This record gives sequence, C-alpha cells and structure tokens, in this order.
Amino acid sequence: MDYKREGSLTMGRLSGPGKYRLIAVFVSAVMAALLPVALFAGDNGPCIDCHTKTDKLKVQEKAKIDPVTGEIRVVSMLVDEAIFKTTAHGGSDFFCTDCHQDLDGADLTEGHKPNLKPVDCITFCHDDPADEYLQSTHVKLMKEKNKDVPTCKDCHAGLTYHYTYLGEESPMNVPRGTDPLHRKITIDVCGSCHTDYLNSYRDNTHGQVTALGHTTTDVPVCFDCHGKHTILNSSEAESKVGKERILETCGKCHANIGASFVKHIEHPQIKNLNYYKTLLTALKKSGGDPEALKKILLNPQTILCIVFVMYVGILAFTFSAFGVHSLLGWFAIVRDERTRKGHADEEHH
Amino acid sequence: MLMKNTTNYLRFGLFHRFSHFLIIISFFGLVLTGMPLAFRSYGWARWLYEMFGGYPTAGYIHRICALITFFAAFLHFAFLFVCVSVKKQKGYFWGVDSLLIQPRDIFDIIADIKWFMGVGKRPNFDRWIYWEKFEYLSLMWGTLVMAVTGIILWFPAQFTKIVPVAVASIIDVPSIALIVHRYEAILAAGFIFSIHFFHTHLLPEKMPVDEAIFTGKITEAEFKHERLIQFNRLEKQKDLESYRVAPSSLFVSFLTRLFAVPILITGLIMVGLMFSALLVWAI
Repeated sequence: MDYKREGSLTMGRLSGPGKYRLIAVFVSAVMAALLPVALFAGDNGPCIDCHTKTDKLKVQEKAKIDPVTGEIRVVSMLVDEAIFKTTAHGGSDFFCTDCHQDLDGADLTEGHKPNLKPVDCITFCHDDPADEYLQSTHVKLMKEKNKDVPTCKDCHAGLTYHYTYLGEESPMNVPRGTDPLHRKITIDVCGSCHTDYLNSYRDNTHGQVTALGHTTTDVPVCFDCHGKHTILNSSEAESKVGKERILETCGKCHANIGASFVKHIEHPQIKNLNYYKTLLTALKKSGGDPEALKKILLNPQTILCIVFVMYVGILAFTFSAFGVHSLLGWFAIVRDERTRKGHADEEHH
Repeated sequence: MLMKNTTNYLRFGLFHRFSHFLIIISFFGLVLTGMPLAFRSYGWARWLYEMFGGYPTAGYIHRICALITFFAAFLHFAFLFVCVSVKKQKGYFWGVDSLLIQPRDIFDIIADIKWFMGVGKRPNFDRWIYWEKFEYLSLMWGTLVMAVTGIILWFPAQFTKIVPVAVASIIDVPSIALIVHRYEAILAAGFIFSIHFFHTHLLPEKMPVDEAIFTGKITEAEFKHERLIQFNRLEKQKDLESYRVAPSSLFVSFLTRLFAVPILITGLIMVGLMFSALLVWAI
C-alpha cells in the first residue's frame, strides 16, 4: 500500500485534503490564538466544563474497541471529576491534553472532532517502567530459560485490568499506587502465578491483615517489598529483599531494626504440603547421618513446621479428649435425672 | 437459683468474682478482635474485624484488652503472694483447698469415667473438681504463653535486637511467636467457649448460667450435690456457718443472667463459626 496515500487519508479525515492542510493548520492556529474556546495544554477547565454535564455533551456514550484485547465496550463520555482527582492521572500537574494530544489546541466552538486517537501511554510517558522491567528477573527467565513470564499487559492487562476490577472504568481513571483497591488487586495479580507465595503471605502478619480487606499503605502488599517493575529474585544482590537491601526495605516501616529482624520468614511454609514432602524425602535420603539431619532440622522453615504440627496435635488431642469428656458428663447427668440415681453418698444425707 | 428461703453459702469471694469479671471482659475483647486474623479468609471474620474498627483500631482494642489481662494476672499473683507470704496462710499448694493436681484427682477421674460408663455412681468431690483444676492451670499456662508471644509480636523490632543474628537465622522468634499465639488462641477460645461453658454454665442442672461465679453464692442443695466432701468436712469442723450468706435477690439473679447470657451466646456463636471453618477446611 502506498504509504503517502495512507498518510494523507488519515490526515484528510483530520484536517482536510493534502494541499489545503497547511492553510487549515495555520487558520486553526490563528483561531486558537484568538478565541477563548480553543483548548490549550495546561488547562483542564474547558474539558471538565462539558464532560461533567450531560446537557453540554453531543454524544453521551461511545462504543470503544480495546486496542489490546479487542474487546468492545460502551464508554460514557462523562468524567467524574471527584474520582478523577483521586487517580494516578488526577494530580494538579496532569492535563487532559497530555494524553489526548490530538486535542491540543483544538477549536471547541462547535465541539471537538468525534473520534480521538487511542492514547499511547508508553510513547507519551510510561517508557521508564519498560526499562525497569527489562532488568527484572522475569525478563531474565524469559531470555535465558524461555519461560512464559508476565509482560506489561499480564499485570496491567492493557489497563483493562483496572476497569474490570473497579467497575467499568476508563484507563483515565487508573488508580494510584497508594489506592487501597489498586493495592488489593496487585496481590491477586501476583498471586495468580505465585500461588504458594500468596498462601504463605496470608499466613504471616502482613498478609492476614490485607486478607481482611485492609490494603492501605500501612500494611505491605507484594510490591512494597519486592518492587514494582524491577522485581529481582531474593538471591540477587540488587534485590529489594536480598541481603544488601532488605534492612532498608523493612526499615521503611519498622523503625530501629537490627540484623536479626530481617531474618524473619515472611513466607512460612507451615501449610504447604509440598514442603513437608520435600522434608520427608530429605530425611529419608539423609539415612540417619547426623550432619545431614542437623542441616535439615536447623532450618527456620522446618522449625516453624514442627511448631505448627505440634500445635495441630495439641488442638486435636485437647478437643477430642475434653469434648468426649463433656459429652459423656452431660449424658450421665441426663441419665441420672431420668433414673433418679443420686451420688455415691447422697442417701446418708 | 431463683429460690427464696434456701440456705446459701459463699463459694467465691468478691476478689475472685471481680477477677473472673475482668477475665471475661478482656478475654472477649481479645478473641473478638484477634480471631478474625486467624480466620481471615471467611466473610464473618471480615465483618467482625470491621465491627471493631478494622486496622489498626481493632489492634489497639486487642492491646488494651491484653493490658487488662496482664492486670488481672498481676492481681492474681499479688493476692497469692499476700496470702502465702504475708498472711502465712497454708493449703495453697497442697491439700483439699489447693488448685494444684493432688493424688486424689487421679481417683476422681477414674470414678468419673466409671460413672460415665454407667458402672458407678456419680462421685463426690471436694472444693475443686479435677477439671476445674485443669481449667485453672491451663488459664495460667495459656496466659503466660499468650502474654510472652503477644509482647514479642507487639515489639518485634525491640525484641529481635536482643536475639543474636546466628540464632535468629535458625530460630525465627517472631514467626514462632505468631504461630504459637494464633493456635494457642484457637485452643484457649475454643476451650473456654465449648468445654468451659458446657462443664459449668451449660450443664443440664445449671442452664443457662452458674450464678456462683457472679453472685458468689450457692444453695445448700447445690453445695451438697456438687461438693459433698467439702460440705461434710466444713460441717464436721463446724466451719459451715461462717460461709453462710443471705440468698441473692431476684433482681441480682436477673442482672447476672442479663450480663451472662448474651456473653455465653456470643461465645457459642464464635466457637460455632470457628468449628464450621474447620469443617469447611477439612472438606
């Protein structure tokens, strides 16, 4: 296909046939400079003015094809200003035209053109996360072992993730990293692959609080400790949970911690059956060799498992023994009342 | 007992009734704010946690109740100290008045089992029945375990400071504290809300509540029925009259039930939810 022709076709729809294009651009620039209704970067006022009021909008709803998933959805053209201001893009230094760049300087006297270009998040702003992501252990595994690892859209799901979970929300309303619901979702996203880590996280102090629905920044979710895009395996020196940096990572919340504090096991294996299986295999292999046994038993995870199993035993014994005792006592009293049997010595009194 | 014109005796003095009251308040506060964490994946846990203000409010309530528990424990041991060391009273560690296990408890257990099986009559007991001693001792042990692990979890940064790194990399004290705290809590709450309730308050002859721990009083008929050996002993020593008290009024009985019945129901609901969670998990 003729590249020039395709280009002119696109441009034609936007600003008139080829040779008049320059004139059209010049005229609209002059108009934009003269008329107060023209839209400029640095001001959300004119957008908010119409997009919060149904009567000012020519079109209330539009069908939209998701550029990544191909899904077609009906999107409202109304902006909830209050919600928008709480989102990642709602800060005072962000403007509508930063993302909808084809509207920069547009003439609004008759309303702007109906079909905007899909917003290109990566070219406009989000190029750093990609750089950061490329250094992560996920990418390393993909390159070296050809593993099927999550790429941008697996976590951000072409941003549809946000609106499917948050109701039918637009990528415009992408929540901030501090947004509790967003934080809650990230646990599910990481946990959808790292099931064992999610389960063991739930068994620890942080995870049990977030499980109850409290996911504000005072309780860590996965990315608070493991990082956002440059997620590195804990064995790597640069990892946020690696030897070099763990003190700093835990120290963000826990003041005055020492080297012993960071030895804490954040992912206890106490309810992981596979861990018990590997323990048993290791025990069998050791063949009673005291050195090997020592190595297996002097492991913090193993000790936690022993404590857990011990408590399960205590619970089972106590409740079965005393449960049976209570029931028998109860029945014996009822039986005595029916047959009017008294105590051993009651006859004498 | 709501009967008037009965002979009544004092079983629990004001100090012990007050201690039991303190324990009720703090124990329920601790269980209701702590158990949601242990049963975090259930809807009721989330609801209950939110009822108490969620994070971190529920945690603050939990810690305040822990302080009440510590206070009750302090009162208990101060009382024991005054009685044993200051007043030089005897019989706290050995004999019929002691809450520690005595040789005769073994015979009581055997006699009780015989009665359960229908091969003997209901045994007579002295001042403390063996399961009451077990409950007392497990309360002491449980409070100690919960207090120590709770304080470690309360001050993890400070506590790990005193653990050498070499030890901490093998024995993860805060993690052990968390596991012990969680399962000891399930043990304690489950025990109190099922075994303790059914052994004392919800016995067919006491339903719905054994008022003795609230009013301090028991009728002569109850005394003879439950603790005949103690009754006979006191009668023989001519001490019985010194324990005699006026029967509690209908109003006091009513107040006791008004306070105790909702608490008993709350406990039963809790243990029901905990047990159902176990069933769901097992299935």
